[in-house]
Amino acid sequence: MIFYKIFHVLLDAGPTVMLPFMIFFIGLIFKLKPGKAFKSGLTIGIGFAGIKMVIALLSSNLGPAAQQMVKNFGIHLDVLDVGWGAIAAITWGSPIIPILIFGILAINIVLLILKKTETLDVDIWNYHHLAIVGVLTYFTTKSVVLGVLATLTTAVVTFKLSDWSAPLVEKYFELDGVSLPTLSAVSSLIIAVPLNWLMDRIPFINKIHIDMKSAKKYLGLFGEPMMMGLILGGGIGVLAKYDITKILTLAVNMAAVMLLLPKMTALFMEGLMPISEAAKKMTKEKFKGRKFLIGIDAAVIVGNAEVMTTGLILIPLTIGLAFILPGNHLLPFADLAVVPFRIALVVALTGGNLFRSLVIGIAVMSAILLAGTNTSQALTGLASSSGINLSMAAGALISTFAGTSLTVSFIIYEVFIGNLVITVPLFIVGFAAIWIYMGRKEKKMKSVPLEEGARLN
Amino acid sequence: MKRILVACGNGIATSTVVAIKIREACESENIKVYVDQCKLMELDSRANDFDFVVTTGKIQNNEKISVPIVGAMSMLTGIGEEETIEKIINLCKN
Repeated sequence: MIFYKIFHVLLDAGPTVMLPFMIFFIGLIFKLKPGKAFKSGLTIGIGFAGIKMVIALLSSNLGPAAQQMVKNFGIHLDVLDVGWGAIAAITWGSPIIPILIFGILAINIVLLILKKTETLDVDIWNYHHLAIVGVLTYFTTKSVVLGVLATLTTAVVTFKLSDWSAPLVEKYFELDGVSLPTLSAVSSLIIAVPLNWLMDRIPFINKIHIDMKSAKKYLGLFGEPMMMGLILGGGIGVLAKYDITKILTLAVNMAAVMLLLPKMTALFMEGLMPISEAAKKMTKEKFKGRKFLIGIDAAVIVGNAEVMTTGLILIPLTIGLAFILPGNHLLPFADLAVVPFRIALVVALTGGNLFRSLVIGIAVMSAILLAGTNTSQALTGLASSSGINLSMAAGALISTFAGTSLTVSFIIYEVFIGNLVITVPLFIVGFAAIWIYMGRKEKKMKSVPLEEGARLN
Repeated sequence: MKRILVACGNGIATSTVVAIKIREACESENIKVYVDQCKLMELDSRANDFDFVVTTGKIQNNEKISVPIVGAMSMLTGIGEEETIEKIINLCKN
């Protein structure tokens, strides 16, 4: 009875208080010393407070400007991209997060024991990509069961995508013994693999191959957050028909957001680190001797030259795409920084073919923009209930290139908030078909030695 | 005081892990360091302001960077972590 009361006090106090407590609790379960668990919780609470401050800066400045853009030119880009970091923070602040985190870990271990996956995913930080699907499902349906199921489904799909892309990662990026269960990177494969297969079979298109080594020289500035913030902020100020003072203020404030948001997220990560390290230790001991792929953050492949070049070109393309894509309301902003993550595996799949990577990249980003627009209402509701202050945003909504904007996450979210009788069987059939197809392919690959230069398809 | 730049894809998640591990390792050896983090895309413009660079992913050998580059993926997987930390400590002591 007393636990119930305490839980309710925390729930009413909101994520600012809930979050440190949840982390403290999770830390204790991972056998952290109470002092360390407490510091973890507090650091994360501070990171969250910092993120809220920067989001307030973002929404109170960009929101009204975006609305002016709508009024002046009918450009309906009034859904603000606040970045994956803010969404991750909101996810970690959800009351059901402990169930989700341990659920993901449990199902990973179960699958490993049953030999249905090769990936040991203790990249606890990136669990937020999996958890947000459940958190948003819970928010929309009010059902904890559906929320947990949604996250576990996302987890299983991610582990399998991670397994299936591991040979590609090993070949193209020369990283062995690891796989990348980072949904923000593998989700693109759902679109990339069929599209690449298609492009292979269209005459003339399948022969195009461009090289652009000097892209970095001319486009390097798209890789610098504060410059991007300055230019985008200024650009939107112009479209909002602000006077010069207001334009400059907006530009500098946006540059501030682009620089400060990652720093707050880093603080969050810092608080989570002891738990992540403890989880790594515990699972490594339990699985000693067993050969598996260590799941790590896809950040390790983003430094590749072809990935960076393609990413740098895709960033301005994405901005342009946002303006012309019918049905899109998402204004790219904070998450432009992670466009390289979305196309990293696409680049590997096409073997570094810039033309194909860009065409597929545009398809991937279009899917993300539209899914982001579609789920923005729910996401904004979730954010507000987490204590993120959007009162000054002039009615603008928020979204991201991560969360449920990722194609895989969007599909699973729609499955679980839709008519389950129809959506769940459809989803299971679809996923099972892919699983069986990949199983046959793996058997074929293992019996025939791979020649030099052979691609996955 | 040695200045170290840690770079990763985002400049947030994996570089934070590595930066903290470097700070702790240096503290136990009583070496004073200043550790900063950045994205891999910013590396060219910032690397030469530091004594050396640590990255969590493989990067191509860049002509623009004149300081040593240490690959630290081992700190994420746990395999070979001690050797990488030793390498970094040695770079600090020189």
